[in-house]
This record gives sequence, C-alpha cells and structure tokens, in this order.
Amino acid sequence: MRMPMIEIDNVTVRFRIPHERIPTLQEYAIRWLKGRGVQYIDFNALTNLSFSVKQGETLGIIGSNGAGKSTLLKVIARVIRPTEGRLRLRGRVAPLLELGAGFDYEMTGRENIFLNGAVLGFSRKAMAQRLDSIVEFSGIGDFLDAPVRTYSSGMVARLGFAVATDARPEVLIADEVLAVGDTDFQRKSAARIREFRENGSTILVVSHNPASIKALCDRALWLEHGSIRLIGSASTVVDQYAPDPPSS
Amino acid sequence: MTDRTAITDGLRESTQALAFEYDSARSSAPFIDEFVQLVRYRDLVILLAGNILKNRYKRSLLGILWMLLNPLLQTIVLAIAFGTLFNSALPHYPIYLLSGLLAWSFMTQTVQYAMGIMATGSSLLKRIYIPRATYVVAVVSNGLVNLLISIMPLAMIVLVLQHPVSTSWLFLPVSIFILALFTLGLSLLLATAAVFFNDSIDIYQIVIQAGFFLTPIMYPPSVLPETAQSWLVLNPFFAFIDLFRAPIYTGTIPDIHVIATASTLALATLLVGWGVFTHKADQLAYRL
Repeated sequence: MRMPMIEIDNVTVRFRIPHERIPTLQEYAIRWLKGRGVQYIDFNALTNLSFSVKQGETLGIIGSNGAGKSTLLKVIARVIRPTEGRLRLRGRVAPLLELGAGFDYEMTGRENIFLNGAVLGFSRKAMAQRLDSIVEFSGIGDFLDAPVRTYSSGMVARLGFAVATDARPEVLIADEVLAVGDTDFQRKSAARIREFRENGSTILVVSHNPASIKALCDRALWLEHGSIRLIGSASTVVDQYAPDPPSS
Repeated sequence: MTDRTAITDGLRESTQALAFEYDSARSSAPFIDEFVQLVRYRDLVILLAGNILKNRYKRSLLGILWMLLNPLLQTIVLAIAFGTLFNSALPHYPIYLLSGLLAWSFMTQTVQYAMGIMATGSSLLKRIYIPRATYVVAVVSNGLVNLLISIMPLAMIVLVLQHPVSTSWLFLPVSIFILALFTLGLSLLLATAAVFFNDSIDIYQIVIQAGFFLTPIMYPPSVLPETAQSWLVLNPFFAFIDLFRAPIYTGTIPDIHVIATASTLALATLLVGWGVFTHKADQLAYRL
C-alpha cells in the first residue's frame, strides 16, 4: 500500500512586498497621517502547485535560483503556511537543517543533542534513549562534553545529521546538505539514506546538480518561476532540464 | 471545525508523536492550536529558558553569583543616593526600593529581551517548524527564574535590617503569578511589533526610561503633588509593583482594588497579546 505522504493541492504562496520598504513605526505613522497608505506589490513565489509524493518515493526538485525551491521546502516543513490551497502530510517531517542551525555554539555537544532533538519535536526522555546511538553515529567521541564552538564544521554537520536521522522520519527533507563532511561520513550518511529508502521513508532532495538528482531519485520535479515545468521520472526530467537564466 | 475538536486532535497528536497528520486547511484556530503545540514542545521551552540563563553567566568569573550581587549592589548605590531623602517617609528604605526594583526589572527587562530575541535572534523560526511563541515563553520563564533567585538578596536585606516578616509573604506566589501573566501578554504584543517595525525597541526603551521615574519605585507616591497622585491610577505598572511590594514591605495583603485591577489588566493584556501574536504568527516567517 503506497499511500501519498505529501499532498500539495493548488498551493499558492504569495509574498506581499511593500513598494517602498517602511521599516520603522515612525515612518509608518507619518505616512498614515498624510493619508497615504502603504502600497504593496504581490509576488507569487509559488503558483497553483499540485502534486503528491508517495510513501517510499525519492523526489528530486530542480530549478534555477528563485524558481521557488526553498519556498516549496518551507511549505512542506510547515514554516510557511500556503496563502491558498492545501497541504497535507502523513507522518513526521524532518528537515536536515543548514550547517549549525539549531545549535547553540556555547553549549556542549551533549546539551546540543537534546536541544536539537527538542527542536525536532522530541521529548527529553526520547532523546536520552537515543543519546548513545547518536554519539556513535556522529563519531564526535571525546568532544561530547566540549562546547560546540570547539568543533570543526564537519563535526557540526555530522552531529546535526545524526540527530535528525536517528529516529527514522517518515519524510526527510535534504537541501544540498548531503555533500558535507569527509568522505567516510558521506559514505555513512548515504548508506543511512539508502536504508531509509528501503524501509519506506519518503525523501525530498533539492539540488543544483542534475546528475546527483538522477543518481538518487526516482522522480523529479522541475520548478520554473514558481510553477511546475515538468514532473516525471528522474531521468526524463533531468534529460530535458535546461535551466533558465535567473529572472531579474 | 470547533475549538473542542481542535484540542482533542492536538492531544491525540501529542500522545503519538510519530503518527500525526497535518492538514494546512484544518488548523483554523491559531489561538488554540499554538497553545496545544507549545504543550507538545514543552521540553524545548524548558531547554531554551535554561540556555538563556547559562549563556548569560557562562564565561564570567563569578557566574551565577552575579544574579545575587547585582540587585544588592544596585540597592546599595541607590540607597546611599536617595536614602536620606526618603528615610523619614520610608523606614527601611532599601527594602522598599529593592522590592519595587525587582518587580519593575522583571516586567520591563523581560519584555525588552523578548522583543530583541524575536527581532534578531530567531533564525530557527525561518528554517523549521517550532511553535512561534516558543522563544517568548522561554524568555518569560527565564525572567521568572531570575525574579525568584533575586528574592534571596531581598530576604538577606530584610534579615539584616530586622524588618518584620509576616504571613503576608505567603501571598507572594499569587502576586508573582499575576505579574508573570501580564509580562507574558506584553512580551507577546510588543515582540510582534518588534518583528514588523525596527524602531519598536528604541521607542520602548524611551517609554520605559520615562516610566521608571513616573512610577513610585524609588520614591513614595506621597511625594507627588496631589494632581499627579490621582493620575497614578492610569499607570498600569504601579498596580503590579504595589502587588509585589505590599506583602514584603508593609507586611499586608495588597488592597483588594489593587488585586482586582492588576488581575483584570494582566488577563486582558495576555488575551490581547496572545490573540495578536497568534494571528500574526503565520506572517512571522516572511518578516523575520
């Protein structure tokens, strides 16, 4: 039974950009007193997007800068609520955060494991049970009780990956973060993601590199100016993919 | 969808964290949904509140001892400066001063911290879903812990000056609870403003600076001219300070009118603050 894990139904995300930026209350009050309102222009980051991702599928998302890839991931990660349309998720979504996001560099590795777990919605108790396997996978060893500011960026990346993936998420969002760390860890993380796929996790991968989409994904989605240009099997989409020059 | 089903849905989610379903069309009551989510993420709130405390004193020599020394030093300086002025009207002036100062700092510093953290320090809200009120609630919890700790130096001064201690101290938890509700409401309200307008914090600081001198914190209300005394009812902070100070300084349960005013004000502020914050919460990710 492969049920849809992510259903995106006619989703539009509209940003409202003030025509001239009015960053202060003072200026806003002056304008209001003069009887001039604030003029906005509406900008659609995503327009009428509809697609679904089934359980166990790995979907690659490609497109040039400004095509709406990050906005789409933010909608799926529930950071942004769609202006119109509907998003439905079945299961827990774990975004692999950018390097160091969600870490407090003054705190120790151990404290950060609990902090990062809490950010992902896990209780303290659940994290205490996972501590050993996270430490083992990340390979931070003796640095566990040292402040994270003493870590190399590779260690931070490993720890972040280990926390986010220790409990198998139903949906994993990977935003070009798979290329971090040394080669040994890359092999380990690639192996873990392969294992997730085999066990039925749904994975979203965003990449500028069509070759890696072709290698990793079953299906691919080509975004252009906030709409779907093409969706289909990864090889078909990647072969036709010709990125637009970024719109000004 | 009614609020009641939203609550039961939320509770079901919280008991089986790994199997929840999310539907963007369903969450139609952010006022309640935000609360349910905060309960789910309570461990995050506790961790963040603790981290604020640890970070502030982590790299300083005296560490947590500063939390005790700070109010003591502040009181000594101000008591030397103004003690002689008010000593006849206010016996044991340092106790009057510090109890007012603690309530005032708890309210105003917490709000300012909450505004700052929403305006600058919350890039996490742009990257991953966590309840939007997480940081504000953590800041207020941290402020509350600070207040409780600084009651210790206050008690020390009370002992040193041999100020009478009565059973009215038992009313303090009620006072602190009402103060915390008000502070949370004001923090939510002004943190929202801080996200939308850069100069909110500057305006706030000016108002608070003026407010410090317009509120009877280091002087008794009786030194004000009579017309100014009647205006004092319009100063919301005065009721809250009185609520905290009366059980300690005068050894009495606060006046029933003060309790009623403060409770009503606290509840109203919290409802408005929570309403505005949760209403605007979806726009925060665009704005931050």
